[in-house]
Amino acid sequence: MKFTRRDFLKASILTGATVMVGNGFPILENLADAAKEEFMGPLPDIDVGGLIRPPGALPEKDFRAKCISCGVCVNVCHVMRYDAIAVAGFNPPSPPFNKGGMGGLFSKRGLSGILSFGTPYIKDMRDFPCALCMECPRHCPTGALQKVEKEKVKMGIALIDFNLCFGWNGDVCLSCSKACPMGAKVFDFYHGEWGNQPYINENCVGCGLCVKYCPLGGSAVKIVTKKQYEKIKVPYLNEFKGLLTMSNEERYNVVYGQNLPQIMARGRLVEREYR
Amino acid sequence: MNIDSQNLQTADSRQIPPYPPFTKGGHGGIKNSSLKLSKLRRFVMFSVLIFFLLQFFRVKALVGGLTGSLAVWFVRLIDVFAYLESLLASMDFTTTALLAVFPIIAIYIIFGRAFCGWICPMDYLFEVIGRARNYRGIKPKITPKIGYGIAVGLLIISGLLSVPFFTNYLSHLTNLFRLLSGGVFFAFDLPVEPTVLLFSAGVISSLLILEFFFPRLWCRVLCSVGKTYGLFNKISLLRLKFAKDECGGCNLCEQVCYMDVKITPHLDQPALRDINCIYCGRCVEGCKTKGKLIKMKF
Repeated sequence: MKFTRRDFLKASILTGATVMVGNGFPILENLADAAKEEFMGPLPDIDVGGLIRPPGALPEKDFRAKCISCGVCVNVCHVMRYDAIAVAGFNPPSPPFNKGGMGGLFSKRGLSGILSFGTPYIKDMRDFPCALCMECPRHCPTGALQKVEKEKVKMGIALIDFNLCFGWNGDVCLSCSKACPMGAKVFDFYHGEWGNQPYINENCVGCGLCVKYCPLGGSAVKIVTKKQYEKIKVPYLNEFKGLLTMSNEERYNVVYGQNLPQIMARGRLVEREYR
Repeated sequence: MNIDSQNLQTADSRQIPPYPPFTKGGHGGIKNSSLKLSKLRRFVMFSVLIFFLLQFFRVKALVGGLTGSLAVWFVRLIDVFAYLESLLASMDFTTTALLAVFPIIAIYIIFGRAFCGWICPMDYLFEVIGRARNYRGIKPKITPKIGYGIAVGLLIISGLLSVPFFTNYLSHLTNLFRLLSGGVFFAFDLPVEPTVLLFSAGVISSLLILEFFFPRLWCRVLCSVGKTYGLFNKISLLRLKFAKDECGGCNLCEQVCYMDVKITPHLDQPALRDINCIYCGRCVEGCKTKGKLIKMKF
């Protein structure tokens, strides 16, 4: 029997169909999974305010101008086994709680989304936070990332969602402070009847290790850029002070009425942290 | 330029022993050459590529891509055109970037535009496409000097947008390495954006389609990286040298050249300094005198 091109095409289509039925098109399924949001992230009202750049990055505009998208930082991060840095597309999803997602070919961020195409950012802090090994600024050939000390890195700032944090809702957790590479410089604790309430101050470098090690499903910590922090600073601090000065009864209503049901619902989905 | 029977007949009429018959094989397949420059060239290209691929196995031999990379742990390198774009976009002069571009300039002052022929992986992909097409494409009569206009235009766009425009969006090198690393990251479920993969795959495949219809239009005219290295050809130590007495006028060297370099008018001169010569050595191999007439020399 002669095996013509037509036969080959038929055979390949048949094989393709079998594979598709058998495995359910693994790649597309993977994409669909990635696009699916498991949890609302912490602080859903607050936008990340841009891209979280690798440590030692210049201010946003200078960074974009200098970066030639060579991929040294991305691959150095891969070599160091942290895999934190990804290349931004036209419409990069906001870290830390958009795990994957197609992002979309058309920019929702307008011109800044288009201009930041190809530049590195920390994509998924929930699974791949920056470990502050400081290898990428050491090796960046263009000077878009500049050598700094660990303590002076300004990638962003971590905000704790007081409605989701165990420590603010009658528990003792300490996970974020244990994960933090800066430790006592960054964390303030307000011990009280309602838990050991942690607060992250402005010395935070924004590495995202607390985001990863938060035991709550979907994390109770969010990293925003320093610029965005200046915008939302006042309401955030008001909420913080309000909780501390609240009377016991009011606080009881907040914790048992609003917060704990949310936390319990997330607790049922928390297995992903222990896979 | 088709290699047809006419050219061979004229060669015969000048009483020159006929060249081994052309078989199917790209740009007039060079057979039975005692010089193995093509093989050496591919060896160099693949070894550079393999050193780059080692980074995905977490080995720090050559990290990054051909636009900018980190060699043997501490040597930082930047492509010259990327450096120019970055410089114009940021309007800021840093020693870091200058130190990174200096080794590259030093290398190509020695080797001229050898990057295109010996290191660029697209050259290999284009050759594969050329083999499939058997060199039947249209060769548009565009002077390669338009390429410098395009390069200057891209530099101005970079300055206006304050983003390295060609390097970040259109460059074949950036997109190829983005595609490689993105593919590996995607396969191992590491953070990567599929849109970046799609974009890079689109750029690379459209370049291959362009190559199918217009052979080497990208290399000869459009590619600004190659044009920048082409400037080094004017001062490079490596060049093509001729011994005119040996020439029988068969024109085979020009027929096998896929960069459309006119060699025969330059035979009187001591050396060829064409901006489009990529030192691939096909003319040296293709020449019937087996390396006596055309030589690559420092």
